[in-house]
Amino acid sequence: MSYTLTGRIQSRIVATLPALLLALALHRWWAIELVALMLAVGLVLDVVVYHRALPYQPAWVAVPLGALELAIVYPSMRYLGIMAPLRLALLLYAVAWLSAQVFAHAVFPRLQLEYAEAGGEPGRAGVLTAAAVAVTVVGGLGAAYAVRPPTIHLHGTVQGPLVIRHAETLVGGVVQGGIRIRANHVTLRNVTIVGGEYGVDIEHAQHVMLDHVRVLHFALDAVRALDAGVMIDNCSVTAPAGPFTTGILISYSMGRPMSMVSHCTVVGVREGISTHSSMVDVMDNHVVGTTVRGISLSEMSMDMASGNQVESARGIGIICMDHSLCDIKHNTITGAQVDGNSDPSRHGVAIEAYFYANATVAHNTVIASPGGVQAFDNSTIARN
Amino acid sequence: MRCAIAGSGVAALAAYATLRHGGVPAEEIAVFGTDDDPTAQWRGRAEAIRQRRMRSESDGHLAPASFPGLAVREAARRGSLRPLIQSVADRYHPTVEDFLAHASEVRSRSGWDRSFVAHRVERIRAVDGGFELDGEGPFAHVLVATGHPGLARMPGTVHAYEPHEYASRVAIVGAGMAAATEWLNALDAGAEVISVRRREPVRRPLNVPRPFFSKRGLSGYHALSNERRAAKLRELAAPSFPPGPAWDKPLETERFRVEPEPPDGCQVIAATGFLKGYRHDPLLADLVEEYELTTHGRWIVLDPDSTVPALTDDTRTLALSGVAAQWAFPAADTIAGAKYTAHAFLRRLCRTR
Repeated sequence: MSYTLTGRIQSRIVATLPALLLALALHRWWAIELVALMLAVGLVLDVVVYHRALPYQPAWVAVPLGALELAIVYPSMRYLGIMAPLRLALLLYAVAWLSAQVFAHAVFPRLQLEYAEAGGEPGRAGVLTAAAVAVTVVGGLGAAYAVRPPTIHLHGTVQGPLVIRHAETLVGGVVQGGIRIRANHVTLRNVTIVGGEYGVDIEHAQHVMLDHVRVLHFALDAVRALDAGVMIDNCSVTAPAGPFTTGILISYSMGRPMSMVSHCTVVGVREGISTHSSMVDVMDNHVVGTTVRGISLSEMSMDMASGNQVESARGIGIICMDHSLCDIKHNTITGAQVDGNSDPSRHGVAIEAYFYANATVAHNTVIASPGGVQAFDNSTIARN
Repeated sequence: MRCAIAGSGVAALAAYATLRHGGVPAEEIAVFGTDDDPTAQWRGRAEAIRQRRMRSESDGHLAPASFPGLAVREAARRGSLRPLIQSVADRYHPTVEDFLAHASEVRSRSGWDRSFVAHRVERIRAVDGGFELDGEGPFAHVLVATGHPGLARMPGTVHAYEPHEYASRVAIVGAGMAAATEWLNALDAGAEVISVRRREPVRRPLNVPRPFFSKRGLSGYHALSNERRAAKLRELAAPSFPPGPAWDKPLETERFRVEPEPPDGCQVIAATGFLKGYRHDPLLADLVEEYELTTHGRWIVLDPDSTVPALTDDTRTLALSGVAAQWAFPAADTIAGAKYTAHAFLRRLCRTR
């Protein structure tokens, strides 16, 4: 197809319709924000790059262009702080890309006889639809902006524990004694939490985001999420106050939206990142020097662990246990250490499936971990 | 009757199917022609050069909407993704057989036979309420789709588009798609082949560069002065055939060579295409003479929607299709060109309903 610039823009906006409808059906602001971001990235590329570089665009080019746009949209999403769970975000992107292909190659040519010779301009009905889509996206963004939670900037050190019972965004500062989150749509950004039993304690809440949060000197868990949907990105967990500590614990959250833990550093705790009966993406984290397990995906969880680095874990690097289904890919486990001689399941196992768990493993790197990759007690490990 | 199509070839069928798709009843359309089979002439030429695959791609069919194209239909019929994958990579070329089968389907589905009138139109006259075709009418909207005005023959030779066999030494004059097809045919038949040509052929997938099939390339083309537009058309008319090993590999043999003149004592096949220009078409020549239509070189000057400006207004339309419409659409002698004119013709009908 040789698109005119108008044709590119109108076709792109109209083809966003299915993704927009899906976003509206999801009832989540992040979904509308993500659709707006995808649209904005696409339109900028249309105007600045594609129109000049592609006087004719074969259908196959949609594949590399889709990958290019994804490579721009994903970091932009993270940079802008759009709280999208990775799998749903990818699903929304896939729907948008696929619908663009279906519209361009089937729907438009079927409904608009002159679509190809008009350079991809979908005609009057197309213009009206494009306008409706654009208005909905802009309106959705406006609504999201209008109802956004208030932002509170903390200065210096605040004596806690702080209890948050309303949607809000807390930025900066140091909180002594922990933060308890009991409301939806709470964001902590660039906050340092010192001390307390739990650094951040989240219960019965969703759409909670912890962005660049540091937790230290906690007595039990640095971050504890119970019955919650939480996005944790770029956090730091260090210097626990005792030996029985967990870095990040997400439990009994199956009924909540998916959670995600990414780009966090967890050092010197008993369990680095632990899930129970939850759906969590554990991605690109650095877990060092745990005394029981590096990453634990357990108790009927449905989790993915990918791109994590687990170093010097005593006993077990990554474990999928107790009827859980786990996707364990592209992780690096270095120096898992033998923890006594009596229990082979703690014999420096890099990746382990335990007690009726099913793990799928692929492209992991295991270094200096004598236990290797093993399944115990009616569990299975499938290698892709 | 509101509209008439003068001519009954593939361009006429494309226009007819488009009108029917646009809601014009069969009773409102008269198709004048010499053969009720719209593919008869095209089929004869394809058979003569033993063409097996189309140069056009998936949307090179005569149905009004381009989706589903021939690749989708073939994929569904064969239960294979291969045609779709080829189409995505611009490598799909339907077989002549598939194209003709689909054309036959379009013919029967559109009701073509109900509108066909066996009569060759020799004269079109503007009258109150539209046009009369050899005294029939008046028709408010007329599309002239008379096709190529005849073969460009060379004395003492057989034309590629006429039935022929191959001698042991064959000189093929020309360097376009028909010539390239004939090189392969003659080599395949075991002949020694001499390609006689004055210039090297252009290698491109379709008749003209792809942007000229859409508004993107056409807007610039339509903005050209008459001189430059004619020059562009002459440039685009240079003989061409698609690139690719399917065309090149068979020529890598000692039995194939290029010479400037046909050697003595060999069979000469003229793959020289068609006569060019409206003057070779009696119907068009008469129209130009009678109404002093604006021309430039061998072309009748048309508006971008393929209409003849002097004979088209808010109440009536005279449009040209096929090769005669090149002034509006450089690839007018392709299926895409026939559809371009058909779409514009339907637009005008809808506007004046």
